Amino acid sequence: MAILTPDMIEFLGEGVAHQVGGCTRDGTPVLCRGLAGTVEGDQVVVVLSKISGHEVLEAVRDTGWVAVNFTLPANYQSLHVKGRDAAVAVGGAHYRALVEARHRAYRDQLAPFGFPPALTTAWYDVPDPELMTIRFVPVGAWDQTPGPGAGNALELK
Amino acid sequence: MMAMADHPPELSLVALRRMMEGVVPPVMCTASPEGVPHVNYLSLAEYVDPLHIALSFQFFNRSRKNVLATRRAAVSFDDPYTGAGVVMQLEYVRVETGGPVFERLRARLAGVASHAGMENVFELKGADIYKVLDIRRVPGRKELPGILPRVDLAANARVLSERMASCEDLPDLIDTILRGLSELLRIEHAMLWLLDPARAGMTLLASRGYDHGGTGAEISLGEGLAGTAAREGVPVRVGHMMNMATYGRAARVRAKELGLSGLLKRELPLPGLAEPRSQLALPLRARGTIIGVLFVESLHEQFFGYDDEDVLMPLCGQLALALAIMQSPEPDALPAAAAVPSPPALAGPALRVRRYVQDNSIFFDDVYLIRGMAGAILWKLLGDFTASGRVDFTNRELRLAPELNLSGFQDNLEVRLVMLQRRLSEYSCPIRIQKTGRGRFQMTLARSVELEEVPHPLRAAGA
Repeated sequence: MAILTPDMIEFLGEGVAHQVGGCTRDGTPVLCRGLAGTVEGDQVVVVLSKISGHEVLEAVRDTGWVAVNFTLPANYQSLHVKGRDAAVAVGGAHYRALVEARHRAYRDQLAPFGFPPALTTAWYDVPDPELMTIRFVPVGAWDQTPGPGAGNALELK
Repeated sequence: MMAMADHPPELSLVALRRMMEGVVPPVMCTASPEGVPHVNYLSLAEYVDPLHIALSFQFFNRSRKNVLATRRAAVSFDDPYTGAGVVMQLEYVRVETGGPVFERLRARLAGVASHAGMENVFELKGADIYKVLDIRRVPGRKELPGILPRVDLAANARVLSERMASCEDLPDLIDTILRGLSELLRIEHAMLWLLDPARAGMTLLASRGYDHGGTGAEISLGEGLAGTAAREGVPVRVGHMMNMATYGRAARVRAKELGLSGLLKRELPLPGLAEPRSQLALPLRARGTIIGVLFVESLHEQFFGYDDEDVLMPLCGQLALALAIMQSPEPDALPAAAAVPSPPALAGPALRVRRYVQDNSIFFDDVYLIRGMAGAILWKLLGDFTASGRVDFTNRELRLAPELNLSGFQDNLEVRLVMLQRRLSEYSCPIRIQKTGRGRFQMTLARSVELEEVPHPLRAAGA
């Protein structure tokens, strides 16, 4: 069993952007923005909209593979996590508080760059019934921060 | 999957170019041949044509391995103003490691790298060209209204074009476009560079919006954004304050590779903003040949976009054609010199004018003034003056003067006269040139002159 380290878990709450990718059975890559990421037990949980993320959700249901990139806008620090047996489930109101907390942190990260709060609201204004989750035990994590260490595998706990 | 030709206009690549400005970085998803997805950010995307885009290739990473193995990628773009998003399905075509698309990306990346403090990390290895197979709008977003453009670019460019078309001579035309950029398009800082094929460089013809005019200043081909636009024949743009030292270093390496390093010395200081946040250089092309560059800059980030290129390129074409072919009409039948007072009696010490035959560079009392064709013209005028006291000239006689050898259209006499006139004026010289009628001008001198010619060093040595 491999789980994210405390540093990685803390990083998820610092105001990162979430980009979620999958691949359909016919080999078509698909991606969407995620809304929140957290850890529950040994699993990574990513919350996303079933409307904007429908292609990714479908691909993950079909293949079980998922890739998630968490990037902090202020310094490009970037964590890439993959799962092989990912499961899709309804998230709903249970994840409302998490999505709002992640949105606030992300919005605060972008504010110094001149992005108005309304911009991220356009992405995060998703009603409870549309909140879905993808949960998976990570099979690997990689540093994707631009620089000499980019692509290096990170040790999981 | 819908064919690109069947997409509605709002989902055409042209309509989506604003999302490629890089305000919000694009995100790429690839997959291995086994179907394992991989997601990462890209630095830049670039519109190539209605069916293709280019993505910056900076690192040999998992994404690149996947793309080379499967030829497929998906890329998402977000509109930084409305929050709208699209996802494109792409098919990899080729990588380009030089040429116009590469240079446009390289310039933009230099700006992004500076902005991000990643000058030593971001290096463009290539421009990956992709065919766009499909574009889908991201559903379910609460999009915001778009922002208003700073002016109606198309309508105001049309007004400027009409003003340019009404100009009767080149000085008027040059003033008109520089003034119009400011008044109509709110572009406050602009330079007009002319290619000098003989020395593979460019000379500043005119500028607006700077502390000093800089006419006669020189750069080499490939130097900075303007030099790159001239060399590649495409607009080159950067939307952040760029570390010119980094970008310039790359240009200097390139110049050295091309054997041009001797051209990098600077005789006159360049005008320019100390801390530009946005810059755009557009080639001036006439008769299929690059003859110069219009360079504009701003104190605001991301000031110029594809829309600016769209309206400025036709204006540059109009300007280039005029610069290439516009000649003064035949001189007035009646001498117009009487309209201008005779030059005053020349007093004080003589002005020492030295000409280096090698490149026609002219020095006034050991201070560099100008060189090239403009220098040759001034030398001829001063020679005629010292020989006969003449101060009135016609454009036609200069055009036919064998010693000037004005054969190629890039040596357009009128353009060189404008450059000389502006340089003399900016330098506050004791010598001036002013128009006195159609195809006529007069040289005025506040001091007497002593001419000294320095022979070509190789010929003088008998080599």
